Amino acid sequence: MVSLFIPCTVDLMMPEIGISTYKLLARLGEKPVYHTDQTCCGQPLFNAGYRSYAKRAAKHFIKVFGDDECIVSPSGSCVSMVKHHYPELLTDEPSWCDRAQALSNRIYELSQYIVDILGVTDVGASFEGKVTYHESCHILRALGVSDQPKKLITGVAGAQYVELNNATACCGFGGEFAIGYPEISEAMVKDKATNFLKTGADVLLLCEPGCLLNINGYLHRNHPDKRAVHLASFLAGDPVEA
Amino acid sequence: MEAQSNWFRETANRELKNELSQLFLSLLPPGFTILRQIAMSSFPDPTSAVEHARSIRAEVVERMPQLLEEFEKNAVSHGAKVLWARDARETTAMILDIAKQRGINYVAKGKSMVTEEVGLNKYLAMNGIEVFETDLGEVITQQLSLPPFHIVGPAINVSPEEISAVFLKKGIIKEPTTNPIELGKAVRAYLREKFWHLDMGIVGVNMAVAETGTIINVENEGNIRLVKSSPRAVVAVMSLEKVVPTMADAIHMVRVLCRNCTGQKMSSYVSMDTGPRKFKELDGPDELFIIIVDNGRSEIYRDRQTREVLRCIRCGACLNTCPVYAKIGGYPYGFAYSGPMGQVLTPLLVGIGETSDLYRACTLCRACKLVCPAGVDHPSLLLLYRSREIEHRDGNGQSLLRRLEKVATFLASLGMSNGHVWNLGAKIMRLVLRRLAHDGYITHMPLRAKAWTDCRDLPSIPNRTFHERWKDLKGSDYTFGNRR
Amino acid sequence: MIIRSGTEGNLTMTPREEILGRMKTAEKGKAPFRPSMPPLTELALDGEQMIQRFTLELSNQTGVVHRTSGKDEVLSLLTEIASREGLKTVITAGDDVIHSLDLGAWGAAVGVKVIATKNIKDRETLREEAFTADAGITSADFAIAETGTIGMIFNEHQPRLTSIAPPIHIAIIPVERLYPIYESAIERVFKNVDDAPSQFCFITGPSSTADIQAVQFKGMHGPTKMIVIFIMGQA
Repeated sequence: MVSLFIPCTVDLMMPEIGISTYKLLARLGEKPVYHTDQTCCGQPLFNAGYRSYAKRAAKHFIKVFGDDECIVSPSGSCVSMVKHHYPELLTDEPSWCDRAQALSNRIYELSQYIVDILGVTDVGASFEGKVTYHESCHILRALGVSDQPKKLITGVAGAQYVELNNATACCGFGGEFAIGYPEISEAMVKDKATNFLKTGADVLLLCEPGCLLNINGYLHRNHPDKRAVHLASFLAGDPVEA
Repeated sequence: MEAQSNWFRETANRELKNELSQLFLSLLPPGFTILRQIAMSSFPDPTSAVEHARSIRAEVVERMPQLLEEFEKNAVSHGAKVLWARDARETTAMILDIAKQRGINYVAKGKSMVTEEVGLNKYLAMNGIEVFETDLGEVITQQLSLPPFHIVGPAINVSPEEISAVFLKKGIIKEPTTNPIELGKAVRAYLREKFWHLDMGIVGVNMAVAETGTIINVENEGNIRLVKSSPRAVVAVMSLEKVVPTMADAIHMVRVLCRNCTGQKMSSYVSMDTGPRKFKELDGPDELFIIIVDNGRSEIYRDRQTREVLRCIRCGACLNTCPVYAKIGGYPYGFAYSGPMGQVLTPLLVGIGETSDLYRACTLCRACKLVCPAGVDHPSLLLLYRSREIEHRDGNGQSLLRRLEKVATFLASLGMSNGHVWNLGAKIMRLVLRRLAHDGYITHMPLRAKAWTDCRDLPSIPNRTFHERWKDLKGSDYTFGNRR
Repeated sequence: MIIRSGTEGNLTMTPREEILGRMKTAEKGKAPFRPSMPPLTELALDGEQMIQRFTLELSNQTGVVHRTSGKDEVLSLLTEIASREGLKTVITAGDDVIHSLDLGAWGAAVGVKVIATKNIKDRETLREEAFTADAGITSADFAIAETGTIGMIFNEHQPRLTSIAPPIHIAIIPVERLYPIYESAIERVFKNVDDAPSQFCFITGPSSTADIQAVQFKGMHGPTKMIVIFIMGQA
């Protein structure tokens, strides 16, 4: 039984990614549940340094998801927050910490779940055109997930996969970084966009809502005919919304 | 050197527009990274080589006081004079004292970041001792009064025109030239005479081997060998964490350091001094002073959460993989140490309160942590400093802006700990953000959020959150396929 | 200088006591297990392979490597080098290998002034000779195939400056001293810690830098050229 963990950015700004995630898992034979009292993993608070506030979000999360066998989320950074930082945050409250540890073994990023747990690389999707893939920092380096999204992409009938130059370079989002250091952030996202355009691909795929907001925000301002798409939407075959 | 990280932002923005800096930043870090990968692949198993190095540094950190005592005992038994300095003031005063007592009027220096940290050059100059930096990059930064651009090549980005101008003024060259080799050879000629007649040399230390009491210097130019061989008095300055347990460990670390630092398998010279010269030897120092510098590190050590910072071996691999450094270069960090290595060390040396930009100007991409051969967890440390800053603010009066931020964050945390409050908060946010949107996008946002829309759009907030759409989804008719 | 002062401790404590004390009373951690590594592949090299590897590595650093069968070939090689490089004065170390070549006689024969460090009595004279010589001729205690590196123990017979001050360094090494990896040298040099030399140095090629615009060149402060002459063993 898969439990959906829908990141706050998706809930508030891009719910269609959540819908695609649900549809995709349903198509693969899952019956995903969604706990309506879920909120946010607390990563923005933790990253900003407000640990005591982040703890509240963590405890709520553990209460909401604590009994689930398996939790899946279309975001590497959120999964990483729960997996790696919850035990650290709750280190001085042993019973919460134990629950956090237990939870950390049962939470997966979406592509990781589909490929590693369900053993699927062909989800029955198709796409005529060139695609390329940006490797988001948390999914790549915190979770070690790199092959899985690529297998899913190359499993899409008709999709021509083109390697992105500097695919693993950070896009410059970094949460508060994009607001706190906008000039540096812009320089970084500009590079990412330039490399995307150089591939000649029709669409840039990625697995991280934060990166998506950042890159699409820049593309819409500077190259409005190009866009990035979340892997979930791509695989679910959902039309790319304007 | 004074920490100037409050001008991080201005300098970063200036460097973003500096064509020469940007050119070097587009070539150098990736170039070094490739060289490092090639050099590391000469190990039969590069991963185990890195793990081995990390475990050596982990042991150094956990056994530091014992290792330092062992090092001191062995160094002293070979005739070295080991001195301990608590802070910058003691370090510089000690070195001045050694110079004055021996009637020294100039010293030549091998590159040493800890001596930059304690402001040695300025202090000696103020007290009538002329200081000659001898590492080519340091000569240039000294002449131009620049901070280091990169840990390995501190002046690598500086234009030959600028170098030529200042060398002409200083009499290092007689005719202007922009040929890097001519400029370098001119420095060779200029300093040769200084090495020849040198009475006191000052060097840093790459490693201090506890097992034997040996100090090790790794270099390519030969200036450190000259500075250690020619004069009667040599002062080697090391910060606490330079110690390594055994010679075998040191040799492994030399292999790892060279590969991670410059992408070389081995640097030109690795010189190992165990005490001063022996009886009847013609050169080498009569007196070898080894100054062990604390300058805040024993406090860093006491704190279990920050102790691992002392693992760092100053190789610079983190600089070469940092996407932020790749855009701004070394100047904005405003101190001897730049890049992720500087971001984790400087706040501890200078104070969390004064170095906010250093630990916040990071996207937490983790590239540094992954590449670090010493096993430093930079992202965790930076997150720790952020939380300490918040705690520190709570304890001491804060500005109105900070108090508002705290209130907003508190409200957000309420939303995050209760599904109903969350949904309510979403509705409120929607009301506010709707007003800013046009044609489905927000192109201008007020206050701090303006930083986003200065170069990016934001999609207009949708009519319904995922929460609100769930009931439709749940009831809808999706084909539950067979799991393949 | 802004750096925090660490002097809030007891004023009667020495800096050493204070620094060590602060660390010793800190919470202890555990030194981790040291994971093993596979042995370096260089250990499998045989004699001929080691020379080839040494030559390849040092050549990559612009060093030049020669093989000679004995004293006569060494001296004729030196004559060639002296002529090509225009050597007028050379400074030589005073160890056994160099001593057995009788470079004084060689120099007299070919018109090169040879200053043997064994005839030098003090630092000032050594400095003057080392900084004005056209080349330094030394032996070496080790040659390491791994990276074309030589290892030199500095002592009364082998001063430091001879190999770093002159613009050319010529090292004449019996091939029996060629080993696969650095550890081969280190284990011998530091076998008895009490007898550790005052300085031991690994030297890999000439001096170099790339500090200006990443333009590399040889001969920053140390030698611009390095030549290694192996004296091969009896067949």
